[in-house]
Amino acid sequence: MTEQTEPRAPFAPWDRRELPGLFSVEESARRVGNYKWAEMRLFEVLGGWVATVPELDVKLVLGRHTYHHAWHAELWHKRLPELREMNPDRLTMPPNDEFVTFMEAVREPEAPEHTIEKLVGVYRVLIPRFIAVYTYHLNATSRITDAPTIRSLTFALQDEFEDWRDGEMLLQSLIDTDEKVDRAGRRQAALEKLYLASGGIAGAGSLGSHPAQEVGVR
Amino acid sequence: MKKMLPESELARDERFVRTKIEDRIFDPRGPKIAQRNTGPARMGVDRPAAGERSRSLMHGIFVGEIQALEGAGRTCYDFDDDTAPFQLKLDMARQCWDESRHCEISVKLGDHMGTEIGEYTESTFLFAAACNPDPVFRLCGVNRALEGLAIDVFSSMKEFGNESGDPILEFCEDWMLADEVTHVKMGSDWLRRLTETDPDRRERALEFQRTVDAIFNLGGFRGEDDENPIQLARDFRRLAGFSDDENDSLAALARESTEQAREMAAMATAALDASAQGS
Repeated sequence: MTEQTEPRAPFAPWDRRELPGLFSVEESARRVGNYKWAEMRLFEVLGGWVATVPELDVKLVLGRHTYHHAWHAELWHKRLPELREMNPDRLTMPPNDEFVTFMEAVREPEAPEHTIEKLVGVYRVLIPRFIAVYTYHLNATSRITDAPTIRSLTFALQDEFEDWRDGEMLLQSLIDTDEKVDRAGRRQAALEKLYLASGGIAGAGSLGSHPAQEVGVR
Repeated sequence: MKKMLPESELARDERFVRTKIEDRIFDPRGPKIAQRNTGPARMGVDRPAAGERSRSLMHGIFVGEIQALEGAGRTCYDFDDDTAPFQLKLDMARQCWDESRHCEISVKLGDHMGTEIGEYTESTFLFAAACNPDPVFRLCGVNRALEGLAIDVFSSMKEFGNESGDPILEFCEDWMLADEVTHVKMGSDWLRRLTETDPDRRERALEFQRTVDAIFNLGGFRGEDDENPIQLARDFRRLAGFSDDENDSLAALARESTEQAREMAAMATAALDASAQGS
C-alpha cells in the first residue's frame, strides 16, 4: 500500500509562473510565422554567401550558422499547427513590405571583397534584433500556456547569442583600419534605418510598444 | 545577390591554386609516369610514395569538402520555395553544417599528415555538378554521385589509416563516413519524392548522376581492382540506400573507365616510343 503523504501545492514555492500572458493564440502564431519567414531568409543567404567569401574561417562559420537558422525555421514551422494554423505557409510571411526591403538589403552584398558588409548586416543588425524580439516574446508570453513556444525560444536564443559572438569576433578581426571602421559603421546605420521603418521582425510592437497587439492582464 | 553562381566565381584566398580537370588528364607528364609501372595503384602502406599519395588525397578531400559546403549552401539560396521545398532546404542547411565540420576535420588531418592548404591544386568540377538549375539534378549529381564517391574515398582512407597504424586518421574518416551515408540517403529520398509523378525527369536526373559518376571514374580512380586507388565500398553504399543493381552498374562503369585509361596509357606510351625512335 502506498504511504500517505502530506498534500503539496501544485506549484512549488519557488515556481512563480503566472497566468495569463500578453499574447493570444492568434498573436503568438502571427509572431511565430514572422520569425519563421525571417529565419528562412537568413539561413538561405548565409548558405548562399559561403561560396562568395574568400576568408576560410568565415566560410566555415557561415556553413555552421546556416544550419542553426534553418533549425529555428523548422522549430517555428512545427509550432504553427500547434497554434491552430494548420497551413503553416499561410502565416509564414514578413510583417510588412518595409521588412522585406530590409531583408533584401541585408541579403544584397555578393562580391568577395564585401565580407564586412555581409557580416555587419547579419551580426550587428539582424541577430541582435532576433535576440531582442525573442527575449521580448519569452518574457511576455504565458510561461504556462505557451510553454512549448518558450522552449523553442530558449533553444533559438542560445544559438543567437553564440552566433552573434562568433560573428562579432570575426568582424573585430576583419576591421583593422579606420576605413573599414567607417565602412562597417555606414553599413550598420543604413540597415538600422531600414529596420526602423519596418517596425521590427514581427512588425510594429516587436518589442511590445504597440498596445493594440497585447491582450490579457500583465 | 544573384542566383546561380558560376564556378569561376568561387571565392578563395591566395593560397589556393585552381586547375582544370582536362589539364590534369592531358598532362604530358602522365604517360611518362605511367611507364614507370610501379605496381597496383590501390592505397596501401607498402606502396611507393604511400605517404605522399595519402597527403595529396587528403588535400583533395579538403577542397572537395569546401565545394560540397558551397554547393549545399547555394541550394539553400538559389531556388525559391516553389522549386525547392522547405524541407529540402532544411536538409541542405544540415549538410552545410556537416560539410563545414568536414572542412575543419580535413584541415586538422592535413596538419597531422604533414601537408598544408595550397600544397596541391584544386579543380572545381565538384562544384560544377552543384550548379545544375534543376534541384533534382543537383541532388543526384552531388548527394548520390559525389557523396557516394565520398563514401568510397573515406572507406579507403579509413582502411589506410587502420593498415598504417594511424588511429587519428581512421577515427576521423569513420566519423565523416557516417555523415556521407546520411547525405546519400537525403539525395535518394528527395529524388524519389520530387520525381514521384515524373518518371522522365527521374530518368534524366539518374543519367546526370551516371555522367558525374563516369567523370569520377576517369583514369580508373575508383573501382574494385588493385589498379584503382579508391575502392568501391559496397557495404556502406548499401547502407546509404544504393541497390545491388546500382552498385553492380557502377562497378561495371568503373571497369570500363579503368580499361579506357589502360588503353589511353598504352597509346600514349606507344606515341612516346615512336617519338623517341624518330628523334
